Amino acid sequence: MATVFMKWLESRPLDYDRGIRLLTLGRLELLQAQIVDRLIRDGMRVLEIGCGTGRLAIAMAEKGAQVTAIDISPTMLTEAERRVNQFELEERINLKLMDASLIGDRFEAGYFDLVVSSLVFSEMTPQMRILVLQECLRLLVPDGKLAIIDETLPDNHATRLIFGAIRLPLRLLTWLLTRTTTHHLRDFASMLSNAGFSEEIVISRLGGSLQLVIASPADGAGIYILPATVLGRLRHRTTLRTLLLDLWATFLRILPPYPKVTPGLYVVGQPDMDSPVLVTGNFELTVRRLVREIDNRIDAWVLVVDSAGINVWCAAGGGFFTAEKVIGALRVSGLEGIVRHRALILPQLCANGVDGWRIQQEIDWDVHWGPVRAEDIPEYVVSGRVKTDAMRWAKFPLKDRLEMVTVTLGFYGLLILLPVAVFWRNMLWPVLVSLVGLSYFYAVVLPWLPGRDGLAKSFSLTLISLAGLLVYIVIWDSLPGQYIFNWVLGLTALSVFTAAELQGMSPLMRGEQANWGWEAVIGAVLGLIYWLIPYTLGWR
Amino acid sequence: MLPKKATMRSLLMEHWELARTLRRLQIHFDSDRCRGVWQCYEVCPIGNWTPDYDRMVAIFRNGKQCIACGACVLQCPEKAIELRIPDG
Ligand code: SF4
Repeated sequence: MATVFMKWLESRPLDYDRGIRLLTLGRLELLQAQIVDRLIRDGMRVLEIGCGTGRLAIAMAEKGAQVTAIDISPTMLTEAERRVNQFELEERINLKLMDASLIGDRFEAGYFDLVVSSLVFSEMTPQMRILVLQECLRLLVPDGKLAIIDETLPDNHATRLIFGAIRLPLRLLTWLLTRTTTHHLRDFASMLSNAGFSEEIVISRLGGSLQLVIASPADGAGIYILPATVLGRLRHRTTLRTLLLDLWATFLRILPPYPKVTPGLYVVGQPDMDSPVLVTGNFELTVRRLVREIDNRIDAWVLVVDSAGINVWCAAGGGFFTAEKVIGALRVSGLEGIVRHRALILPQLCANGVDGWRIQQEIDWDVHWGPVRAEDIPEYVVSGRVKTDAMRWAKFPLKDRLEMVTVTLGFYGLLILLPVAVFWRNMLWPVLVSLVGLSYFYAVVLPWLPGRDGLAKSFSLTLISLAGLLVYIVIWDSLPGQYIFNWVLGLTALSVFTAAELQGMSPLMRGEQANWGWEAVIGAVLGLIYWLIPYTLGWR
Repeated sequence: MLPKKATMRSLLMEHWELARTLRRLQIHFDSDRCRGVWQCYEVCPIGNWTPDYDRMVAIFRNGKQCIACGACVLQCPEKAIELRIPDG
């Protein structure tokens, strides 16, 4: 259900803006204004990398610049487009969905007078940074300029400490309010000089933790060819760390921060230039499960794409795992210079978000949709990419259902039981037992309950639990009226909640995210009534 | 800085609309456009599509099971598949 949170993050560009403003205490806007004041001249061509909601692009265009603004997030671009239309700047601003690593392919060399970017480089892997800076160098006219705003770690230890102390609560607050966070760059200056730029102006804010750097191409900076870089070998191993991660994943997977793997190219076994290329997202658990299934069975290149640390199905559905990202990761990895073939194997379950034809058209690699489950990959690869029907159909077997119920119980159980434990001690055990019982019961009977989504299935679950209550009353114990009333409400609330839990945990139910919100609301309201009624009626 | 009440409500409404739409979406398949690329068969996690090797088209079945994930819609090079809300 991580997607619920993550989707909100991306689907709320306004929240993002708000979050960034809060996190940088408004200083980002001041630095952006500096760019506009100092560098923008009428008619100049500007490339903005990562335009977000388009605020800087609009400011630059209003001062007469011709802006090309790219971003990797479709939702951000939609918001940017809305604003550009609102300001009637369509003529001046050209918005494009693009991964930053592709700017070299898409634009002419020596076309831009200025390249700007705020809070983007800190989000990239080091490899990608070098690649993008190199491309900037190529795209700029000889006396062009590069202006980057980013978060940095202050050099001075004392400042760093203060910085950390101030930032921690601010980060937490910002995350809670807007689910937005940022990272910082370690070595801004050397990053630029390595890529062939020389710094001209540095403006620092917030004790040096937010910097605007204006740089220009250094004399004699040549084009440097990015070497193919393998980040490491992935092995299937059980260590204390993996055990702890598994423990966490079993009970609290839903909560951020989601453990991630650094995106990039890895090897499994001893791949050569004919070995298959497997693409996957960078959720730690996803990568580890893939490796567990293929290590010692096949040799392969594994291209880990930045899916924001979310599993591929949810990431693709939420717009975090896209064709652009795959193309970008492939470009940065240098794989094109390593392998002899041009075949990518993508997980089938990202086909709802990764446009395979786009990859083919843009970079001429063939996309093959691999099996749904990682355990089928060795067979699929060895057989020469023959996918049986059993490999292509998603299933949600009992084992997975039980696992998923355990995952959700960890978090939602706490959510429900904490208030109960605080306000209503004596009900803790009955609620705990009904919640756990209902959840596992639901997991077992799920396939036989009518309805295509959790909301529909929750109705039958409610009926069954109420029937159970009736049986209990008739056979064992005739409860007093108000108790029965209470139990009916309570069980209904718990049933709706339980059915909501498994939504989004399998690719077999419809409208997972959307329904989830409503189930949570219904469950919470019923729960509240359940809890309040005895007081209002003076039963307690 | 916090979302105001009105926006909270509009968020919920938006959510509700999304849920409603998702529940009503149905696959609309224009088989005249299909030329048997069968990407739909490759990607559908439910197994709703099967290739017809004689006529070189795809066959859609089991509409009820469709989870409206949109994979087949996105991967069809001929744009023969759509997810639509049926009229009326
Ligand atoms: S939308 Fe998804 S589930 Fe429905 S037919 Fe297409 S691929 Fe299959």
